[in-house]
Amino acid sequence: MRAYLAIVRVTLQQLLGGKRVLGLGSIALLPTLVMVLVTRDVSARAAYIEFHDAPLVILFLLALPIVALIFGAAALGDERREGTLSFLVTRPIPRSVIVAGKLTASWLATFVVLGSAAAVAGVVLFTTADTWSPLWALLVAAAVGAAAYTAVFLVLGHVTSRAVLIGLAYLFIWESGLTFAADSLGNVSLFRIALTAYAGIETAAIPLLQEPLASLTPGALGAAAKVVVISGLAVVAGATLLRRRDVT
Amino acid sequence: MTVGPALSDDATVEVSSVSKWFGQKVAVSDVTCSFGPGITGLLGPNGAGKTTLLRLLCGLLEPSDGSVRIHGVDPRRRPSVYARVALVPEEAAVYGFQTARQFVTYAADLSGADRSGVDEAISSVALDDDADRPISEFSKGMRQRAKVAAALVGRPDVLVLDEPLNGTDPVQRAHLIEMFRTFAAEGRTVIVSSHVLAEVERMADRVLAIVDGKLAAAGDVAAIRSAMSDIPYRVRIGADEPRRLGARLLVGGHASSIEVDHGGLVVETTDLTDLGMAIPPLAQELDLRLTSFEPQDESLESVFRYLVRR
Repeated sequence: MRAYLAIVRVTLQQLLGGKRVLGLGSIALLPTLVMVLVTRDVSARAAYIEFHDAPLVILFLLALPIVALIFGAAALGDERREGTLSFLVTRPIPRSVIVAGKLTASWLATFVVLGSAAAVAGVVLFTTADTWSPLWALLVAAAVGAAAYTAVFLVLGHVTSRAVLIGLAYLFIWESGLTFAADSLGNVSLFRIALTAYAGIETAAIPLLQEPLASLTPGALGAAAKVVVISGLAVVAGATLLRRRDVT
Repeated sequence: MTVGPALSDDATVEVSSVSKWFGQKVAVSDVTCSFGPGITGLLGPNGAGKTTLLRLLCGLLEPSDGSVRIHGVDPRRRPSVYARVALVPEEAAVYGFQTARQFVTYAADLSGADRSGVDEAISSVALDDDADRPISEFSKGMRQRAKVAAALVGRPDVLVLDEPLNGTDPVQRAHLIEMFRTFAAEGRTVIVSSHVLAEVERMADRVLAIVDGKLAAAGDVAAIRSAMSDIPYRVRIGADEPRRLGARLLVGGHASSIEVDHGGLVVETTDLTDLGMAIPPLAQELDLRLTSFEPQDESLESVFRYLVRR
């Protein structure tokens, strides 16, 4: 446990310590900016409806995955690039502990940035739509989505030095393209995991999210269960890669 | 050729017929050796395969063939063995945003070592005054010492050091060498790589020489020195009458062969010092004008290649 906590602590310093946090924070605030623009001079009900159109989709389909991609890919990828991976893997700790620590830290870092942006969005929504209820749903969905995305991107960051490029291609081709085109692929979309978590809590928004939800059943617990499975698979895959791949 | 045994009697680290290749490039070729208590120097020119061998020893690389055991365990299968092994790699391998104290504390936390040993480890490398400065502000030598402190904090039985004296000044070097010696005197295994013979000579009781990924020689330092003593050296001497000078060098036994070329001659000798001593009086006696004295082939690499050829 001590080693795990130490890895989480130091990785958080690595991820949140640089200038990239400012850039990622700006991306995370993009949905709120859009929301401010589209909800000017409209009624509370109209503001609520407008928020569940573009701003929410931008938050979970663009801002969240990009932030998760940068942090997830950097968690192990930076160690490899900067030559510190040899420091980590020559310690008497199971590889799964290293990967779990890295995953936890990249999830927390993503949630700190996205959760803050989601909180800002919730507050702005309160001022325009006069309701606090989406705030809690946004925070839960940000946490669930952050875990799903960072799990996938952490492994990707360890496998290739071009993780960001491949990750962006994945987001545009798979998440924004194919899973929208084919309803049956919705079950394996990380964006929709976050969205079902949101809709499971903010049930009043379900009618407004019919198109992106398609045939998926809203529910925070179901989404959380999927994330647990994805995270577990990521830890197993990451630990196996750490064991098998050379540290050059 | 092997000067002495490549195997240690009471081995803690065993390397059996290990080869490692990266695509078409063979980095280590069929090396069998072992390491026991005391300091063993891994000597060889740059690019000889020392770092690859050390990374194989530490489980960072999977052997393409053969096996590595530390305390009888394959480190790639059982990470728990790292409680007894520490590596100081040649590359950076430090977190620039941390202070030296944070870095060593992190190493203690990861190794399950008592945090009370952090100050002692930092003191042992004489970094007390700089312990709370970010490592990014450190010189290369200070970074090396921070890495050594991080390695020592877990009190390992086996310490593997890849070019640990790189970037250190003479005072730091002497201090580190003394520390490695103390560590070895406590019955621990210390493996140190270097491409500088004099460095290894000051540290190691036993030397393994590696060239082109192969074990070229093994034994104590004196045996390696002795094996190198009859290496022929080539020296180019610039002189205005090279034939006369060459003839006298051959007659006097100062050269084993000569080649006269334009403006000088190339002399082959096994005793460079004797040749250097003989030239000035001969030049005076023959009334020659000397313009240069340039050893042609005295790099460590050429010395090792000679050992491999023998």
